[in-house]
Amino acid sequence: MSSQTLDAASDRSDPVLDGLDSTTAGIAVWSGERILLYANRAYLNTFDIRRTLVGELRYDDFVRQLATSNELVLQSADMWIATQIGEFGAERQFDQQMSDGRTLDIVRMPSANGGMTVTVHDISSLKSIEFALRRAKEAAETSGESKSRFLRAANHDLRQPLATLRILIFNCLSETDEVHRKDLFHAMDVSVSIMDDLLSALLQIGQLDAGKIVARVTTFQLTSIFERMSLQFSHQAAEKGLKLRFAPTRAAVVTDKALLERILSNLLANAMRYTDVGGVVVGCRNDGASLRIEIWDSGRGIPLDHRDRIFEEFYQIPSGRRDKRPGLGLGLNIVHRLAGLLGHSIDLRSQPGKGSVFSITVPLGDIWQSEVAEPEISETVGGEFAGTSVLLIEDDAVLRGAMKGLLERWGMKVSAIGSEAEVRNHLAKTSATPDLIIADFSLRGQVGTTIVQRVRTLIGKQIPAVIVTADATPEVVARIRSAGLPILIKPVSPPRLRVMMHNLLFEPAELLSSPSEPGA
Amino acid sequence: MNTASDNSDIPLGSMLPLTGPSTVDGIEFRKGIILACEEINRRGGILGRRLRPIFVDTGRQNAEDVVAAAAQLIQDHGVHAIINGYNIGPQNSEYEVIADAGVIYIHHNTLLQHHDTVLSNPDRYFGCFMANPAEYWYGQGFVKFLSWLRETGQWAPDNNRIAIISGSKPYSIVIANAMASAAERFGWSVSFGPKILSTPRNDWRGVIAEAQATEPAVIANTHFYATDLASFQKQFVQRPSNSLVYLQYGAMHKAFMDIAQESAVGVIVSAVTGLLRDEAGESFSQRYLMRFGQASTPQVGCQCYNAVHHYAIAASVAGGTGEPGNDAQNRKVAQALIEVPFRSVAGMVRYHPQWQAAIPYPDQVQDPSLGMPHLFYQVQDRAVGLALIAPAPYNADRFVLPAWFSPRYTKAPGW
Repeated sequence: MSSQTLDAASDRSDPVLDGLDSTTAGIAVWSGERILLYANRAYLNTFDIRRTLVGELRYDDFVRQLATSNELVLQSADMWIATQIGEFGAERQFDQQMSDGRTLDIVRMPSANGGMTVTVHDISSLKSIEFALRRAKEAAETSGESKSRFLRAANHDLRQPLATLRILIFNCLSETDEVHRKDLFHAMDVSVSIMDDLLSALLQIGQLDAGKIVARVTTFQLTSIFERMSLQFSHQAAEKGLKLRFAPTRAAVVTDKALLERILSNLLANAMRYTDVGGVVVGCRNDGASLRIEIWDSGRGIPLDHRDRIFEEFYQIPSGRRDKRPGLGLGLNIVHRLAGLLGHSIDLRSQPGKGSVFSITVPLGDIWQSEVAEPEISETVGGEFAGTSVLLIEDDAVLRGAMKGLLERWGMKVSAIGSEAEVRNHLAKTSATPDLIIADFSLRGQVGTTIVQRVRTLIGKQIPAVIVTADATPEVVARIRSAGLPILIKPVSPPRLRVMMHNLLFEPAELLSSPSEPGA
Repeated sequence: MNTASDNSDIPLGSMLPLTGPSTVDGIEFRKGIILACEEINRRGGILGRRLRPIFVDTGRQNAEDVVAAAAQLIQDHGVHAIINGYNIGPQNSEYEVIADAGVIYIHHNTLLQHHDTVLSNPDRYFGCFMANPAEYWYGQGFVKFLSWLRETGQWAPDNNRIAIISGSKPYSIVIANAMASAAERFGWSVSFGPKILSTPRNDWRGVIAEAQATEPAVIANTHFYATDLASFQKQFVQRPSNSLVYLQYGAMHKAFMDIAQESAVGVIVSAVTGLLRDEAGESFSQRYLMRFGQASTPQVGCQCYNAVHHYAIAASVAGGTGEPGNDAQNRKVAQALIEVPFRSVAGMVRYHPQWQAAIPYPDQVQDPSLGMPHLFYQVQDRAVGLALIAPAPYNADRFVLPAWFSPRYTKAPGW
């Protein structure tokens, strides 16, 4: 061991060396002969060097051992060894990534005798903060870009229909010809729709930018989306003189239902916009464990040199035509981004002048796992009275409202009426025959039994009926019974009403074998 | 409140059709309750108190009979709970008497209107539970089952037409409506019905011919009396068509097999609550047959058996049962019934916290550990019993094309 060696391991207590041992930064002094003269505790711990090696450890050996220890993250150990040995004694500062995730800041400074002093700082927490700041900055920039994009769009696309709208309103104010006025209103409606589309599209883009759209993947029947899209687009297709057809499918698919509907609606809207004659067909093909949903149009087609760019924001294929409702250049971008979010591929085949086929491929699902439309089942969907029409005659408005609410909760179609005159008016206006009559007995000077008979005569059918009454005196009960009608006493118990309605509608024999109301 | 220091018996009521058209089921419900009470009592009862079952006949199961039975059990016997199988007909009239007394009521009415009644006033009907899923699930579950047979190539139907015939009870009508409403979504078309016929009936020839005139791939009859369904099936096989036949719950019963004989083979039947063929189910089945004889039907008796065990656990967790008027204690029992799901011999009984009805698998939840399995059976060999063909993981057998199909069907792919 050299006499000049500063031996931190010696028994001799040195307040300076003790002080250096208590710092968190690693410090090492290498001699001109490349021998480790001094290393404090932090340095020894960082590189796992035994204290007894101080005064003996050779720099080249240290570098080689360190490179093969797997403690450092290195792209090429040989290259790192060559660089470290070659740069001995040269002034240098660099960050070193460690295998345990730490980042070390290493600074080498030359010393007078050809040696060098090395300091090592753990800067992991600083790096972590730096990373978080960078993410925040990027998010802020994205948000800023989103706002800029909104403003750009607002400045151009939104201003155009607004300007049109202003002119149309001005013209409309002075227009006296009724037909021309209607045309102007129609044009205003188109302008408002364009603004509506633009704002909806920008809202969707904004949500995607902000990462606020989270997929909720379920298994469901694709036909449920087709039904909704058919309702949404059939009128528009008819207006444009296009044929719109959805090929029936019974496939169950696994994806986010709302997002898939948004994708398909955007693709369909695009197909309709750029198709002038012919039609659009939406259909499916099995593709192994997946289903390819295709939207075929007989529209203008997409030239080859534009196909890579049509999914970009605000990109529109230049057209010589003046479209009544030009596109915004956002729909396909939304499709592209939502498909990316869901992990579904979008494909395009097209022939300019003949049409295009956009398709999205989604995984097929297990039919057992398929959700049926109503997760909260209720009697309005599948109850025994669902869809049954009832004529409710009750002169007390409060009771009439309460009874109507109860019957509607059971899925019945209720015509709630307060008097015989209103009944006549109602029946004159409708061709539908009620399945059942529920009538109050006492109706402002008239009696329910008579009204029931008149309704039956008017319609020409013995419609099942029940009389409800608050007056349970033997005379009234006898009078109702003599009219051949069953009775319920007010306040009417819902289960009793159900039993009565069930028997009247489905099991009239039961009605004869059991009393209609205890005590009545 | 009845505490653990009270050693008197706990009166447990049950309203059963021990006479009338559902007698065969009523007898099995009674056996299920007896076996459960015996097992619980052998283990020390509910916190040391033995269960004493009391049975009242509900006869034709109409509102008058069932309401009278509930009143008798509460007023004359002071029952702490009423547990039974189904009573089709009262349309929940009995809930009023039970809610007034504030006792626990667990039934297997399998009725959608249970949801409506409980939701209409959750505080009043806190104690009313339906231990199996509503009949509504039969309808859409069956449509899914058909679609599964078709999609997996086990059956290649001629067309997508379904004929639906219903009995006149609310239960049958709701199932028929639910079937019709789900059909289109899965690529089926209702070619006939739902045709509602007054029941009981034993002459089905006219309606079978009407349904067959539409050449349906499937004929479903949602009526549920075993003997009526046996007549239906015998009349169908006299002039069969290439249609799968689905019969409602009653066709599971031994009485159906006894009357329909060989004509029953091929029929599809399902149960939203049914005995599983796993270790627990087999063990229960053996105990049941040993106790009541080989002619008994543990598949039916298991329902009440499960409900009594679940009640005993919930009451123990809640610290005891409550007599009529002690709704404070019974509310604790009701809460425990919801909070402590029970893996019964018919699968998981997990009450929906709002509906207070068992949640079905795979009709509502996709995790078999969270719902009561809707089981699909086929009569394949009368000697062996019903083959359980769906859903996974409970299925143990495969679907077989019924023999009444014309021979050309045997050439269809996938069989």
